[in-house]
Amino acid sequence: MSSTQMPQMLSTNFTIDPAQTRLAAEFKHSRPLFSCRFDPTGRFVFAGAQDNLVQRWDLATGQRTELAGHDSWVRGLAFLPGGGCLYSGDYAGRLACWPYAVESPQPMRTHEAHQGWLRSISVCPDGQLIATAGNDNMVRLWSTADGKLVRELAGHNCHVYNAAFDPTGRHLVSADLKGVVKHWDVATSTLVRTLDAAVLWKYDNSFRADIGGIRGMSFSADGRWLACAGITDVTNAFAGVGKPVIVVFDWLTGRAKPPLRPQQDFQGASWGVVYHPTGVVIGVGGGGGGGAMWFWRPDEPQSFFTFKLPAVARDLDLHPDGKRVAVAQFDGVLRVYDISPKPAA
Amino acid sequence: MLCRYDCGSPEHQITRRSLLAGLAGGAMGTFGISRFAVPAVAEELKSAQKRVLIIFLAGGSSQLETWDPKPNTDTGGPFRAIPTSVPGVHISELLPYSAKQMHRMAIVRGINTAEDDHGQGAYIMETGRRPDNVTRFPALGSVMSKFVGPADSPLPGYIHIQPGGAGYNKQDSAFLGPKFASVSLGDGNPPPNVVRPESLTESADRMRNMLRQRANERFAARRRTAETEAYSYSYEQALQLMERREVFDVSKESPQDLERYGTHDFGRHCLLARRLLENGVTCVKVTHSNYDTHWENFDFHIEQLGEFDRPFASLIGDLADRGLLDSTLVVVMAEFGRTPRINAGLGRDHWSRAWSVALAGCGIQHGAVVGKTNPNGTQVTDREVHGGHLFHTYFRALGLDSKQKYHVGGQPVPVADQTVGPIEELLA
Amino acid sequence: MPDRFWISSCAGAPPSLACSLVLLFSWSTAAQEPNRPLHELIDEHVSAPWKTNGTTPAALADDAEFLRRIYLDLTGSVPSTAEARTFLDQPAPDQRTALIDKLLASPEFARHMSRVFDVTLMERRPDKHVPANEWREFLRIAFAEKKPWDQLVREILSSDGADPKTRAAAKFFLDRDAEPTVLTKDLTRMFLGMNYQCAQCHDHPLVSDYAQEHYYGIYAFVSRSYLFTDKKNKNLVSLAEKADGDVKFKSVFDKTKTEHATGPRILAGPPIAEPKFDKGQEYAVAPADGVKPVPKFSRRAQLASLLAVPTNTPFNRNIANRLWAHMMGRGLVQPLDLDNSDNPPSHPELIELLASQFVAMKYDVRALLRELALSQTYQRASWLPETAGELPPERFAVALIKPLSPEQLAWSMMQATGVTDSACAALADKCTEQTLHDRLAGNVNEFVATFAGAPGEPDVRFQASLDQALFLSNGGLVRGWLVPGTGNLADRLVKLFNAEQFDAVADELYFSVLTRRATPDECAEIAEYLKPRAADRAVAIQELIWALLTSSEFRFNH
Repeated sequence: MSSTQMPQMLSTNFTIDPAQTRLAAEFKHSRPLFSCRFDPTGRFVFAGAQDNLVQRWDLATGQRTELAGHDSWVRGLAFLPGGGCLYSGDYAGRLACWPYAVESPQPMRTHEAHQGWLRSISVCPDGQLIATAGNDNMVRLWSTADGKLVRELAGHNCHVYNAAFDPTGRHLVSADLKGVVKHWDVATSTLVRTLDAAVLWKYDNSFRADIGGIRGMSFSADGRWLACAGITDVTNAFAGVGKPVIVVFDWLTGRAKPPLRPQQDFQGASWGVVYHPTGVVIGVGGGGGGGAMWFWRPDEPQSFFTFKLPAVARDLDLHPDGKRVAVAQFDGVLRVYDISPKPAA
Repeated sequence: MLCRYDCGSPEHQITRRSLLAGLAGGAMGTFGISRFAVPAVAEELKSAQKRVLIIFLAGGSSQLETWDPKPNTDTGGPFRAIPTSVPGVHISELLPYSAKQMHRMAIVRGINTAEDDHGQGAYIMETGRRPDNVTRFPALGSVMSKFVGPADSPLPGYIHIQPGGAGYNKQDSAFLGPKFASVSLGDGNPPPNVVRPESLTESADRMRNMLRQRANERFAARRRTAETEAYSYSYEQALQLMERREVFDVSKESPQDLERYGTHDFGRHCLLARRLLENGVTCVKVTHSNYDTHWENFDFHIEQLGEFDRPFASLIGDLADRGLLDSTLVVVMAEFGRTPRINAGLGRDHWSRAWSVALAGCGIQHGAVVGKTNPNGTQVTDREVHGGHLFHTYFRALGLDSKQKYHVGGQPVPVADQTVGPIEELLA
Repeated sequence: MPDRFWISSCAGAPPSLACSLVLLFSWSTAAQEPNRPLHELIDEHVSAPWKTNGTTPAALADDAEFLRRIYLDLTGSVPSTAEARTFLDQPAPDQRTALIDKLLASPEFARHMSRVFDVTLMERRPDKHVPANEWREFLRIAFAEKKPWDQLVREILSSDGADPKTRAAAKFFLDRDAEPTVLTKDLTRMFLGMNYQCAQCHDHPLVSDYAQEHYYGIYAFVSRSYLFTDKKNKNLVSLAEKADGDVKFKSVFDKTKTEHATGPRILAGPPIAEPKFDKGQEYAVAPADGVKPVPKFSRRAQLASLLAVPTNTPFNRNIANRLWAHMMGRGLVQPLDLDNSDNPPSHPELIELLASQFVAMKYDVRALLRELALSQTYQRASWLPETAGELPPERFAVALIKPLSPEQLAWSMMQATGVTDSACAALADKCTEQTLHDRLAGNVNEFVATFAGAPGEPDVRFQASLDQALFLSNGGLVRGWLVPGTGNLADRLVKLFNAEQFDAVADELYFSVLTRRATPDECAEIAEYLKPRAADRAVAIQELIWALLTSSEFRFNH
């Protein structure tokens, strides 16, 4: 599952107060939601669901538009910087490109990008390349100009869950089911190093299956940190008995910091993570106890605030204004929360 | 030499009372002589060698991710359906190799066993009966080991290959007796004690068995019963099995086959199953673990079916190529299916109301699809059946009368649930 | 009548001490006509039909046959080599009776009975709420203290498992999860000798005596009971009972689907009197969350005092029949749980006599077993001359061959190979039946796993399967016992081999393993076998021991 984002900031006042988190808007759909992204202008929020559609909601008016054209569920959502084009990828392995701001967006340039699920899309900050990752264990680089395949990056030996360009655009990170994080040099397409997030993976011996995957990934704005979200301490894979956790790498040294965990015991997985410009890490997830959103200060392994969500959360995105987050939830509702301090009365 | 003991043969069973006595006293099923008081059964034992292959997808595989996909519905999940080698029949995209074998297979889509518990569900599917506190019925493998197994085979009639666990499961054979118990090959390893210990040379083994036989001959001169004979004979069987122990060694198959079936457990187990069936084992069950995907059902089914698909298809194909498929009944089953509803953990839960089983081989109508479910798989809409119907069908597919009866402790007990009958549309 | 009968039965038999003893015995008892010992009456009943059906019984067993048989039946193991030698080489007058009494008084007897009744009552179900060793210890103490059978059963039926002192007795109920259909089936089978399971849904289709209302009469005693888990200690599960819940039933054969009702009753007996309470007054301790309810009137509590009492004839018949079957290899009613008028006992008057006598003996198990052991019926040889025709087993004219139970097999193999004696020597002055048992009991598990039937099924049939043969042939456990070690059988035989005393080897081997002397032919065979094996004598010795250990003669009680 992928959640790779580069917060495009529209304002510079990023003060937040998670303790005052409040619901700002609710957008309802008939099927459980699967993924969500704000567009770079901050006007819309897009969501994939357990159907073949992408939902678009206008934040101001609440108007909903359906983007039809996929053959399966859409998890990968990413935008060309500067707006105009939405890339979406589905579980049939197809990549689509949409002029998303028009009244009735239609897909342009749809093609098969992966055999099996396309799990993640990341757009290079310079807008030239996009990277896709999927269940055929491959990472592929595509030209945004003509949609052609530029490069295939082979090396993962299991499903690739996430791919993300770093803020400079010179580096690409891809992460898989077994917690293997590969750092690629974009220009040469060579593997620079491998980081170890194997704590996010387990082979369950009684069920004889793997559980894991970097389900959410986010670079900090300054590119110094890479957060990887997933599940750990699994005692029963088939019942999802494990704990949500965020592994944070020091990009320079490649070493992992002490992992970020919810302060209170929580059973489930983390499906999404973003770095806020202030350095606060925000994560969402869900499991046996429902859904939750956690906030961590840099260098503090325990969350300092937990916000209970009405349903299990599958994805998270930060609004360009840095004041709101969107959470895609199992009950079919896309909820936008305001995490900024309440205006003085 | 006419036996001077009450061997339990029909000639001795002249009254019902002595029938009770003889059967209860231990004369049932020892060293291969049929003890049934029903002559028709003895006839069936003489029919041509047949086999049974059971693939058990433990935990409850999802019918929506296998044999009865519902793409683009609220319950169907993200996978699509693919065409098979039978025009008009589609199965889940997760089974591309099996799809190419569909012309040798049949699917039953209208199963409603109304039992969501693992143990009870497995019992229904293995025995064709609903569990009660009264009688424990024997499992399919034990039953067929008795009905179609050759009387004097040196190999166990029912072998179960499973991940973990080993030994002899007497519960499987219930009142049929330990002779038809399943022999478990845990992780595909040979049964315990089948290899002569290193410290025991072949010649020492021969010598001591000769002494044992001489002692038994002396004893039998005065005290010979069915039981002492059966006991003595069990050593001959053990020695014969030891001589055949290479049949359990799958590494003896060709490197090409080892590669084609795959190095993962299920792959090797399927190849071992082929080996055992070819070498005369009557019934082989391979359990693939595990499918109880209450969480992230789709990821796990990719992984598990990814292991299942190619070896299973290879097995069907190989049995056909070797001329064995027409005399081998193949059943792919689980204890139940999985809910159409996808839960909050992206999982599917236990579901027995509308699910599927696949079959192939002996007596099965090629390409048949029997039973239908509604568009989102929440209900059977056509030809609803359960474990009882299937059990009848297995008997008939193997050319046996499914209305016959066992005699247990003097009581006649039907081999299958008599309130239902076979699924005729499935039979060739 | 009696004197002539006794003489004629000995005429065909080889002369033996036992035979003369019987003659002697019959003289002395002839004068006590009114108070003749039970074992004599047994023999009378058994032999009564022989004249009409032309049965010539087997002779009486010789000392070796008797010795091994009585040890297995009363202590669960073959005797030690020393015990065997003493009995066979130095016979004393009346030594069979003395041996019977000695074995009945031994701690091994209590242990063996606890195993036998554990298997009878629990059928090797895996442990659920009461550990098996606690339950077996409860049984062992009961047999050691000569607790009467009726009292033992009442304790089993009346414990609710709450009091640690009586908890073990509650295993019968607790480990069946207090499930009423299972309980009804097993209560009737094990304590009344009647298998009522098919009468759950309708009158029994084959047995006209077993009516559906009898089934539900027993069911009604237990249907209000259920398992209660203590809130604080989840391991403490005990029996609780509601004050309400009526038993209604319909027959699946009845097209009118008439519903019947019954209260608790013992088979065809009268329904029990149940006090009526005002609504809200039924409980001494009312049910509440986490509180175990206690009804003012407990149906289950009535069961013990109505079922396990002298007035309940099926109860008496059942235990008499089971004890008979334990010794003789087959019940007078066979199968043991199918007592009904369509399946009459082989000797109707005899079973009635045994049942009433057992009651007169105040349900003293030892006393009844003693009488059974003293009878000629028990002491017959298990073989017939070539000229004799076939003899149906229910005539009891020849002793039946019984397979050793998994426990008997394990303990006998340990005894035969010298494992038991070595363990005792290692324990030195701390060697008692208890310490020896505790030390070696672990060895029995593999035997039970390999030789016992499926759990929850009655242990009625012998089946030889090849996994058993493989276990005894290649398994490490038994092979380990054959390796010469300090003082064990293999060691002793190797030493005799070293001294070239081949006859002594045969002698020691046969006494130890088969509880008898080797015949001249067997001696010769052994000498011939061993003489060329000087180079690998230890191996040859192990081959010999193994061959006898796995022979039919060892495997069966004859």
